Amino acid sequence: MQRLRLFSSQLQNNRMKKKFYFRYPVCFIAFLVLLLPGCMKDKIRKTYQITTPVFETLTKLRESIKSQPAISIMAPGKITVAGKYILLAEQGKGIHVIDNSNPSTPRNVSFINIPGNEDLAITGNTLYADSYGDLVTFDISDPLDVKAENFVTNIFPDHNNYYYPSAGYLTDTSHNADSINIIIGWTARDTTVDYDPSGSYIGYYNSCLNCAAAPATYIANASAPAIGTGVATNGSTARFNILNSFLYTVGATSLTTFDISQPSRPSFTSSVQIDPHVETIYTLKNRLFIGTNNGMYMFDVQTAPATPKLAGEFTHLRACDPVIADDNYAYVTLNDASACMGSLNQLQIVDIHDLGNSFLVTSYQLVHPEGLSKDGDDLFICDGTDGLKIFNVADVKNIHLVKQLKNADVHDIVTENGLAIVVAADGIYQYDYADLNNIHLISKL
Amino acid sequence: MKYLMLFILLVTRTVISVAQQKGTAATCQFHSINSIGLLEGSAGSAFQLQTINGAQYKSWFGGIGLGLDYYRYRTVPFFIDLRKEFGKNANKLFVYSDLGVNFGWVTDKQKTQYVSDDKFANGFYSDLGFGYKVNLGKNGGLVMSLGYTYKKVIESYKLPLYLYGNSIYSEPPLNDQTVKYSYSLNRITIKIGWEF
Repeated sequence: MQRLRLFSSQLQNNRMKKKFYFRYPVCFIAFLVLLLPGCMKDKIRKTYQITTPVFETLTKLRESIKSQPAISIMAPGKITVAGKYILLAEQGKGIHVIDNSNPSTPRNVSFINIPGNEDLAITGNTLYADSYGDLVTFDISDPLDVKAENFVTNIFPDHNNYYYPSAGYLTDTSHNADSINIIIGWTARDTTVDYDPSGSYIGYYNSCLNCAAAPATYIANASAPAIGTGVATNGSTARFNILNSFLYTVGATSLTTFDISQPSRPSFTSSVQIDPHVETIYTLKNRLFIGTNNGMYMFDVQTAPATPKLAGEFTHLRACDPVIADDNYAYVTLNDASACMGSLNQLQIVDIHDLGNSFLVTSYQLVHPEGLSKDGDDLFICDGTDGLKIFNVADVKNIHLVKQLKNADVHDIVTENGLAIVVAADGIYQYDYADLNNIHLISKL
Repeated sequence: MKYLMLFILLVTRTVISVAQQKGTAATCQFHSINSIGLLEGSAGSAFQLQTINGAQYKSWFGGIGLGLDYYRYRTVPFFIDLRKEFGKNANKLFVYSDLGVNFGWVTDKQKTQYVSDDKFANGFYSDLGFGYKVNLGKNGGLVMSLGYTYKKVIESYKLPLYLYGNSIYSEPPLNDQTVKYSYSLNRITIKIGWEF
């Protein structure tokens, strides 16, 4: 009996031990599971570059704006052809002067140093170009010896890099060039900081269009006149354009008009807000066609050229979109460049018989279209790395590809008199298309 | 990454089956531990999956493990597992230690949007903890564990073209800038699995 009690007691003890061994670890684990995650902190370190501006006074910078010996074409931008010369912007640096007397052997003859330059336009012997926030006027009667004649200071605030130490950013109207500093470059150094993803926001404001593209102008050849006659015909990615005695420019959000009846002394007449993402301007007769990320805006300048009036608009899905037009239709190329955050790559043809009631006629899928030009029934489209494409658009509802030249990453084009001057990522290509069936490359610079 | 996982599984399964055929009398036995688990950290909870295959000698076990770790970024830890069992009962307490490399296998959704060249570098992986194995006879056993696990994830990408207005001059030229994030992720891991 005693043995039985002892056995029973041992059995109970064992059970209790088992319960002890089981309960307490479970409780301990539950305790850890509940409490420990609170102690677990993720550590995130972010490494990036801090950029510090390098300044120069406006006075000193302006002194450097003049002709200098030719330099290599590195980052081709806007293009203008004036008589027998091609003027090609080197993005942010200035303008190449190219003697195109013989399109089969163009010569890079000089360079106009213009820090902060993106855009240009020419009428007669006068070249208009931007330099950071300034509009600069040049006499180019001798294209090899160009000097700045006049500065309209700080007229493009969205290109502005000016800092006014005395009265603050954009509030100093004295425009004392000695007191204004301009950022001419950046130095960068790496830095690493603790990073909290819940408390940060990386904001990207992309509104560019054709900053990396090319642009506008006149064509030159042996029979062409020297500089000094007429207004340049700009390409579709231009942001400066001249119509009669007015220079129209587009900034990031606005259209600005200058009276250039005195060519060397442009005077500001008006500015109108259009869209948060303005890209290009094209002029035809008394109309301005402005391409933006969100659509095309059409302005009438017949009655009041100094103060353009909105005559109509055509909206599309967000995309980069140079535009050209003829009397009846506008041709808009949409591309999905990351700067525009779009997703379309196509040509859209818009009926503009009635500017107030424009509508899409047709669209055509492309690869990455940018600049375009039209000569008669032939529409030339720079389709990025897919090359230059030529469409017959005699019947806009039934356009068809006639030719494709796939030998360059092309951005913009000017066509005139059977000569196509194409700005590509690696320079200028010129094609003879007098016989479209036998279009061929005649030079590359 | 898929091929790597498949390769590891095939190799380890082949080794196990061969070893089991040969080594019934030997003291060294091959085992496979396959578990699912929960990861808890400051970024919340996440699912994990592991397979560890290796050999047991007395109370020691060593093996190679491969897993899936969904905490913050989907990654594939590849590691060496070492564990020691305690006790003479069929059910045993054990401690374990995993050390290895963490391969990035990040989903598109987890990648940073509107940037270019988004890359994830391989990083360090470790897991330390203890657990309890319930022996269920010839069919194997149930394995439960609790531990601390660390993984390092390094993301780098290039910023997109940064333009204020339409000028590339008004703001620092960030378009070529590479940004790097180094994530040191500390988690509690709770796993339950089957060992055979």
